[in-house]
Amino acid sequence: MYKVSLLTRDGATIAFDAEPSDTLLDAAERASIYLPSSCREGGCGACRVSRANGEAELMSYSSSALSEDERMAGDILLCRAQPRSDLALRAPFDEAAVGFAPIPERRSSLVAFEPAGSGAVRLQLQYEDDPTFGRAAQFTAGQFVEVTLPDGSAKRSYSLANAPNWDGKLELFIRLQPNGAFSNYLRDHAAIGDTLQVRGPQGQFTADETSAAPRWLVVGGTGLAPALSMLRQMAEFADQRACRLFFGVNKVDELFALDAMDELKSALPQLVVTLCVWKPEKEWREFTGTPAEALALALSAVSERPDIYVCGPPALIAATEETARSAGIPHDRIFSERFTAA
Amino acid sequence: MFCYQCEQTYRSDEGAGCAGPKGMCGKDAATADLQDVLLYVCEGVGQYLHRARLLGATDIEADRFILFASFTTLTNVNFNAAKFVELIQQASQIRDRAKSLYEDAARAAGTAPETLSGPAAFSPATDMAGLLAQASEAAVRKDAAILGEDVVGLRSLILYGLKGVCAYSHHARVLGQERDAIYAAVEHALDILAREERDVATLLDEALALGRANFLAMEALDAANTGTFGAPTPTSVRVTPVKGKAILVSGHDLKDLHAILEATKDKGINVYTHGEMLPAHSYPKFKSYPHLVGNYGGAWQDQQKEFAEFPGAIVMTSNCLIEPQPRYRGRIFTAGPVGWAGIRHIADENFAIVAQAAQALPGFTEDAPEQTITIGFGRDTVLGVADKVIDAVKSGAIRHFFLVGGCDGAAPGRNYYTDFAEEAPKDTVILTIGCGKYRFNKHDFGTIGGLPRLLDMGQCNDAYSALVVATKLAEAFGVGVNELPLSLIVSWFEQKAAAVLLTLLALGVRNVRLGPTLPAFLTPALVDVLVEKFGVQPVGDAKADIEASLARAA
Repeated sequence: MYKVSLLTRDGATIAFDAEPSDTLLDAAERASIYLPSSCREGGCGACRVSRANGEAELMSYSSSALSEDERMAGDILLCRAQPRSDLALRAPFDEAAVGFAPIPERRSSLVAFEPAGSGAVRLQLQYEDDPTFGRAAQFTAGQFVEVTLPDGSAKRSYSLANAPNWDGKLELFIRLQPNGAFSNYLRDHAAIGDTLQVRGPQGQFTADETSAAPRWLVVGGTGLAPALSMLRQMAEFADQRACRLFFGVNKVDELFALDAMDELKSALPQLVVTLCVWKPEKEWREFTGTPAEALALALSAVSERPDIYVCGPPALIAATEETARSAGIPHDRIFSERFTAA
Repeated sequence: MFCYQCEQTYRSDEGAGCAGPKGMCGKDAATADLQDVLLYVCEGVGQYLHRARLLGATDIEADRFILFASFTTLTNVNFNAAKFVELIQQASQIRDRAKSLYEDAARAAGTAPETLSGPAAFSPATDMAGLLAQASEAAVRKDAAILGEDVVGLRSLILYGLKGVCAYSHHARVLGQERDAIYAAVEHALDILAREERDVATLLDEALALGRANFLAMEALDAANTGTFGAPTPTSVRVTPVKGKAILVSGHDLKDLHAILEATKDKGINVYTHGEMLPAHSYPKFKSYPHLVGNYGGAWQDQQKEFAEFPGAIVMTSNCLIEPQPRYRGRIFTAGPVGWAGIRHIADENFAIVAQAAQALPGFTEDAPEQTITIGFGRDTVLGVADKVIDAVKSGAIRHFFLVGGCDGAAPGRNYYTDFAEEAPKDTVILTIGCGKYRFNKHDFGTIGGLPRLLDMGQCNDAYSALVVATKLAEAFGVGVNELPLSLIVSWFEQKAAAVLLTLLALGVRNVRLGPTLPAFLTPALVDVLVEKFGVQPVGDAKADIEASLARAA
């Protein structure tokens, strides 16, 4: 048994014990400490922390979640690391991001599903009444849930697109993948009233409410979901901060949720939406290119330095981070959530 | 930022004050700086209103704004930087209005209006970045090198006392009780702050004048509360949960509690008081709501754990809010002067959404074993048994009264108050007022001749009630308040306590024991003045202090 201590960004120390055969994430959870994580299999990088002292062994992981340079600098993934000595770790998140109660697991029923453009499906779930959690859908805009198929055969994580609500409603956008477990379910089996298990909310891709900077959201495909959630929350709070949305897809007919964006524009008069199509297959009058390119153009036209929130495939995140950094936006003002195909 | 307005301010060998990116209360530097700017612009409003009033012209909406704006800057009230940008713009417009009011009144009186400088002439920026760049002009310790530490300390005492006056007056105001004399005193104090008075004796007099104004504010608040909701009576309050959907209401605003009870009537929702809201149970009007079922939790500093465990909606109607944690962020609401970025604020007193939230949340799934405390020993009740009390004192059954008043907090030194209450001899009576009581109010202190040894008189907002009792008892005994067998043990935390302390000093109440530490803005020379002139004593060892109090009385 080794002692692990983790120092959060805001200076709190969280301590737990870990067996050499435990991942650090599992060991923490055994002590009822729920550290930020997402895929739990070394693919997303949500649980990356740096090692100040001590040794850990890493099981297999994706280099997109932890680069060789980062690993050499001492970074590890909590979901992949097993302790080989006592460990002192430094986390890039605040204590508030750490849960000290298990992540809720709740039953929901499928209320509606319909195409969202040519490449995705919009799904509406309704939480069932629960003795522990009630009916409410409580989460922070930008968070995700893990959904299990009715037959238990697959679990996938999806960001919530609606704002937190007391009616227990969840709205998700699912990108259709050839032979994807959820895609197959939606195509062949899904029926209104199906029961799906929902584990969440999870994740720390949430707005920094204390920042005074404009909020710019850069999203690709179904990465729109957390941005919609944040903007809807802002609309509900009549938030007057400056905000922009750069929403990109590959083809014109992949665009979706345009009605939701129109609603947002009337509720948030300051919102500027830039629709980006990378390779328009038909006449297209708005921006042609990626949202990262649209961002570069927009940044070059203003002197203010916004907070950047980027959600989408890894390539979009890398391009956006690069664009933002070269425009002088500090690393800690760029917030990202990576979507991986599954 | 630089802020040292509350007891928990950062202290080190180099001095005291929160000056980092975040204060000990959780307020970030931007919010702290913007609060300074807001108060500075309010000083400008005060400069004009004060002069206008001398010419017979007033603007009650401007006065009301000053109360509200000052209230937002108290410790643990509003942490939302964006809100302060908005309030500063409003303050700036109100100052322009006050300027016209004064200049028109001067011209009507046939005199040339003065051209005012300082805050009156300050032009606040219209955006956050601009305002933050101006914050050094409005800082509490600006000009400290010229004014000297004692002057800065006294100015701070006046500023913080003024905030307390404003907070109490705002509570009274929302229930329809306002006093011209309070508005005049507030405007005058703002003018004093604006003109950078440097004479220590003058500033001390001004601080005491503010203490007298605060007595009026507390009288108005007492009239507001008892006039609207009836006179408090001794009441047994359940302190354990009841099965069912639940709402927790914290802070001092009885009007908001009333609106919440109305919004949840016959909906199967139980309403609980928290912290500062406890006295509500003792008012006849609130007893008519059967769904006001009890009090939940301890004092404010325990809220992060207790709110996380509360299975319903939570409303903060005034101080003391601390950073809402993820486990309850979505189900906590702010109202009135309170705010936190990203937390839903109810500005229109419509609490329907809170009822909706409570119904969607699980509530308590079972009854906890019943446990109660007794509260509600307000002035009417205590004076109603004055004969009994006087007889008990004369016969020696009651040797002494200890009034343990003020806030609670997390500081280790606050164990003093627990020790004090528990060590107080069995022939002494403990009167409580404020959250300090949560340290010992579930303890059984027994009775003296049928009179409970622990008499809870309410919150700090009910200090007027305690002062009336002390004054009337002194009259009955034919002595001054300082000759009564009564010692005041005060725990201060924030600015309302500063206002109450000034009131005590202004009324000539001596020998107040003050802790757990003395305000950081008081210099050693100022502390000497308080000790010599007013007999204020820092708290020491509980047992020794009890003995010293009893010896003084004997």
